[in-house]
Amino acid sequence: MMEENIVQVEDLHKTYGKDVIAVDGISFTVKKGEIFGFLGPNGAGKSTTIKILTTLLEKSSGKVTIDGLDIDHDQAKVRRIIGYSSQDVGVDDDLTARENLLLQCSFHHIPKEKAKAKVEELLQTVKLAEAANRRLKTFSGGMRKRLDLASALVSEPKILFLDEPTTGLDPQSRKDVWEYIMKLNRQGMTIFLTTQYMEEADLLAGRLCIVDQGKIVAEGPPNKLKSEVGLDKITLHFKADDLAACDKAKELTTKIPNIQEVGQCRDGLVSENGLTIMTKNGSAMVTQVVRALDSEGINIEQLTLSAPTLDEVFLKLTGKTLNVVERKEAVVYGGRRRRR
Amino acid sequence: MIDALSEIAAIFNRWNRKLVRQPILIFFNLIQPLVWFLLFTQAFSAIGNIPTFQLLTGTTSYITFFTAAVIIQTIASSALNAGIGLVNDFDSGFMDKMRVAPISKSSILFGRLFSSALTTVVQVAIILVIGLALGVNIASGVPGVIVIFILAGLFGIAWSGISLFVALNTKNAETTLSVGLLTTFPLLFLSASVMPLGLLPSWVQQVAKVNPFTYIAEAFQSLIIKGFVWSNIENALIAILIVGALSLGASILLFRRKIS
Repeated sequence: MMEENIVQVEDLHKTYGKDVIAVDGISFTVKKGEIFGFLGPNGAGKSTTIKILTTLLEKSSGKVTIDGLDIDHDQAKVRRIIGYSSQDVGVDDDLTARENLLLQCSFHHIPKEKAKAKVEELLQTVKLAEAANRRLKTFSGGMRKRLDLASALVSEPKILFLDEPTTGLDPQSRKDVWEYIMKLNRQGMTIFLTTQYMEEADLLAGRLCIVDQGKIVAEGPPNKLKSEVGLDKITLHFKADDLAACDKAKELTTKIPNIQEVGQCRDGLVSENGLTIMTKNGSAMVTQVVRALDSEGINIEQLTLSAPTLDEVFLKLTGKTLNVVERKEAVVYGGRRRRR
Repeated sequence: MIDALSEIAAIFNRWNRKLVRQPILIFFNLIQPLVWFLLFTQAFSAIGNIPTFQLLTGTTSYITFFTAAVIIQTIASSALNAGIGLVNDFDSGFMDKMRVAPISKSSILFGRLFSSALTTVVQVAIILVIGLALGVNIASGVPGVIVIFILAGLFGIAWSGISLFVALNTKNAETTLSVGLLTTFPLLFLSASVMPLGLLPSWVQQVAKVNPFTYIAEAFQSLIIKGFVWSNIENALIAILIVGALSLGASILLFRRKIS
């Protein structure tokens, strides 16, 4: 059924002036109830895309429907079913939090009594009830963002568009916003968000598009992208800088089929970096590695396994890094190693 | 229709509330007109002694005559702010919030314009009170003052349209401000607001005859000096209608096109 997809974008193009191509033929769909992420660096076309989807910007060509409504012909209807929170945080600093929300209610023609109840409820949800009568001038960045999110929700939209919801926020506020987004999604809200943070995309998005220079370079659930494009890393550490063991291990593991790359043993101190093995499907390969070493009686002190980060996926796809995220290493065998 | 009215009311109230929170802005616009009112009229008070001036204007007091110019200056200066307010909304992202909402583009503009007109009327009231204190007499009395307020409000809306147009085009506060400032003074001096038409050099008279400020000024002048001269009020309304149709029509068209 068509209704499964709340957003359908086909071959979307946006050109500014004659030769600035912001969006270069992208197609994707957003399913009802999911968090769909658009991940990419500045200038990738994320904001342009979200502005087109929210009727703020006219596209050059392509077809976009929101909940079955054509974005060109049913603009007014589209505006009734979407919520939008821009990167700029569109709130009025001279007004109080409550006034801002009430104003937003009147933009959506919500009757007064209903609006009042709605506003109180939203203030509670975004934990701003106590600051409700304060002017936004006195608000922190995190508070303003929370109010902005609340104001995008007064109309009870079917889909919420968030343009870089945590850019410029401190870590705690960022976590608050993340939690709030996840809560909304659990309540059934479909969310389309753009971000330049890997961590954010990884944590929030059920599915995501990686965009670069106006094109989609990859699409899928974060884990699938990581396992398809990136490689798992198995790291072996040997007792007391046992170079011989390391050399032998290198020789043995190189022979295992499907292992893509084995690192160097003399790369500085053996014990410091260990021997790195890059492979797909790392958890299954661990057994083979251990078996091969065991058969030759090579002792390992510790074995760790780490999954690729989205950043590595991004690097592989675009040749650029977005923001470096450290891999999280899981110890599969052996205890915690002492740092030497 | 009801929707449109409630949208305009919401936006109108928003701007009024913002202004009440920063009342200093009401007086900020008044500084320049007041300086003129107090100093210009002192330095040029001798103009009142010129027989031709007396003949053309029906008064011996230059400050009485000049009150109309100060009111126009106040209106023009207040109208500037209409556009600046919109630029601020573009910068803060609030404009996008309004544009994503299911409200009409015209509501966004008219809510702003009506609030700006209200501010103008308040400012004109302050000017008139100061004028009374300085010895200016208003021949048409209280009804005349009401007509002055109405004309000031309407001309404020029409003239604000120009500032909106520049603001929507440039989205830049400095440009919007300087276009307003640079046009106000030449237009004042090239109209019948500083000198009666008959005392102006002939080329200036030609310009003044197509300058809306002339007709607004003549309406104010007659209300202050003589009483109700309906032909002057009519001319002022026609000038307002022409300026308003052009400036607001252009602004609305531009605003609609930029978006959809």
